[in-house]
Amino acid sequence: MSAIILSAIWGVVMMFGGVFFKKASVPKYWAIAGLIIILAANILEFLGWKFFNIDTKGMLRFDNFGLHFNTVAFFCTLIYFLLNGRDIEKVGKHVSEYFALIFFVLCGVAIASSFKSLLMLFLGIEIMSIPLYILTGSDKPNLKSNEASLKYFLMGAFSTGIMLMGIAFLYGGNSAGSFNIDMMRLGYGYLPDMIAVGLVLLVVSMSFKVSAAPFHFWAPDVYDGAPTVFTSFMATIVKVAGFIAFIRLFQSSFGTMQSQWQMLIVIITAATLLIGNLTAVFQQSVKRMLAYSSIAQAGFMLLALFALNDTAKEGLILYSAAYSLATIGLFAILVRMKDYTIEGFNGLGKTQPVLALTATIFLLSLTGIPLTAGFTAKFYMLLAAVKNGHQFWLVILAVLCAAISAYYYFKVIQAMYFKEPAEDTGHQMDVPPSFKWLLIFTAAIIIILGIVPGLVIDWLYY
Amino acid sequence: MEITQILFWFLSALAVVAAVGVVLSKSPIYSVLWLIVVFFSISGHYILMNAQFLAIVNIIVYAGAIMVLFLFVIMMMNLNAEAEPAKNIYLKIAGVIAGMCLMIVFVAALAQSADIKVPIAKGTDIGLIKNLGKALFTTYVIPFEISSVLFLSAMVGAVVIGKKEQ
Repeated sequence: MSAIILSAIWGVVMMFGGVFFKKASVPKYWAIAGLIIILAANILEFLGWKFFNIDTKGMLRFDNFGLHFNTVAFFCTLIYFLLNGRDIEKVGKHVSEYFALIFFVLCGVAIASSFKSLLMLFLGIEIMSIPLYILTGSDKPNLKSNEASLKYFLMGAFSTGIMLMGIAFLYGGNSAGSFNIDMMRLGYGYLPDMIAVGLVLLVVSMSFKVSAAPFHFWAPDVYDGAPTVFTSFMATIVKVAGFIAFIRLFQSSFGTMQSQWQMLIVIITAATLLIGNLTAVFQQSVKRMLAYSSIAQAGFMLLALFALNDTAKEGLILYSAAYSLATIGLFAILVRMKDYTIEGFNGLGKTQPVLALTATIFLLSLTGIPLTAGFTAKFYMLLAAVKNGHQFWLVILAVLCAAISAYYYFKVIQAMYFKEPAEDTGHQMDVPPSFKWLLIFTAAIIIILGIVPGLVIDWLYY
Repeated sequence: MEITQILFWFLSALAVVAAVGVVLSKSPIYSVLWLIVVFFSISGHYILMNAQFLAIVNIIVYAGAIMVLFLFVIMMMNLNAEAEPAKNIYLKIAGVIAGMCLMIVFVAALAQSADIKVPIAKGTDIGLIKNLGKALFTTYVIPFEISSVLFLSAMVGAVVIGKKEQ
């Protein structure tokens, strides 16, 4: 609860701060301070010290899983603010408003990780999406940014409509006449037709929000068109929050009927893995490649939804941390590059050794090379899918796709170390030492999580 | 047939006809006018379910404010039939097939669930302002308060998008 309330309040503070902050560099410090407060309050709530004792009438439940995910998400956002604070200032004139919108998104993330009622699911998903439509279009003079924003808004509004339709079917179909996902626990019987239609519609709209395969068409254009700093936020924290909402919804209301809808998830997962990885291979721009790679990684996270057991939950938390940190780090480096193509990375190993080294660690983690967090996360996901015991071919497909992903991630590493820099590289970028140390810190976390994944997972059973 | 039943069937038929009109009209202005008819007939349904407040709000907000906005936008964009881009015939066919499939699924689901006891608002007073307010500020107070965050973020966004960039 404290995370929801404090992040909404801090959003308002940042919004009014726009009047008082004269210098564009001030909002960043306020945002970082606010985020530290929210993170601390959330950790305290996790440890049992509640600041707000509110009777939510069964609308929200703050369990270990949700609160722990909040901690991971807020920590990643903190790293994001620290790495990208100065780049957010460069996007446009309304710096404190951008931060305010990001805090509203965090409020939505906290709702999505704790909802118990379909009403709250809808509100959480919408609070996450609407600020993002605006952040996507925040680079107003850029036509591509405008196009991306409009596209995202129209498609997003449409998928929200589908979600509401699904919720209406679920409400009409369950005899309890309630929006509460525990009340509509369906038992082990046959899935009634009306509920089944509602379920399919919910799967469609949630797949859209997490950019899973047949509904992923918006993702590359939007991620490519949006200002790179905000792409970084959208593709990481918001996306994994979507997965948390997805798994919460399906585990508590439809978990017992998994055998009846599992095939649907299997098809979506397989398509996401294949399409994401195969299209990423052909991309020339690193930004677009990362957009497709985020679809491919979503395929891996969908395995948690397929497996739906305790290992899957552990894996999803670990995957959130590993994927978010690595992608945020890569985007932070990418923002400072002048040339977004793979050739733009040529010889970065010579001109900016620290950046190249950390970028290599992030890429290795995304590929899933042992000793990085990405490996343990993928391992947990595959383990969960094997434990589920059905559709073993999906696991084999996932491993094959991870192997394909090595090709396009390694292309960047190869460009950095084995190609000569061009004469006019544009690598003379503005890299303060604090930025370098922060990148090293992030890379260190990734390696530590790769060796001791328990640091994140064990808290689930605190 | 009772008078309420006759009204129900009349309003339902009106809603469906008007909705088809929205889709089939060539001119966007006619579409918007048909949409107003849809909203009015749905408001009629609300009144049949003893939800006066919802009916009035539906007319004021949707048929009133939002439709006026719609008309303004259409006039400002100066849309006409010639400016409409030619659509691919295969896309049209695919759209029709997909839409029909969805309709079959919906109809089948509704038809086979005829015996499910759907919660009916008939005969309750939940739609009256007093009871609605009570429910909103007791059972549903959390979603009510949290939706303020949603609207606030939309407002901040509108300002960010609308403000002139110097």
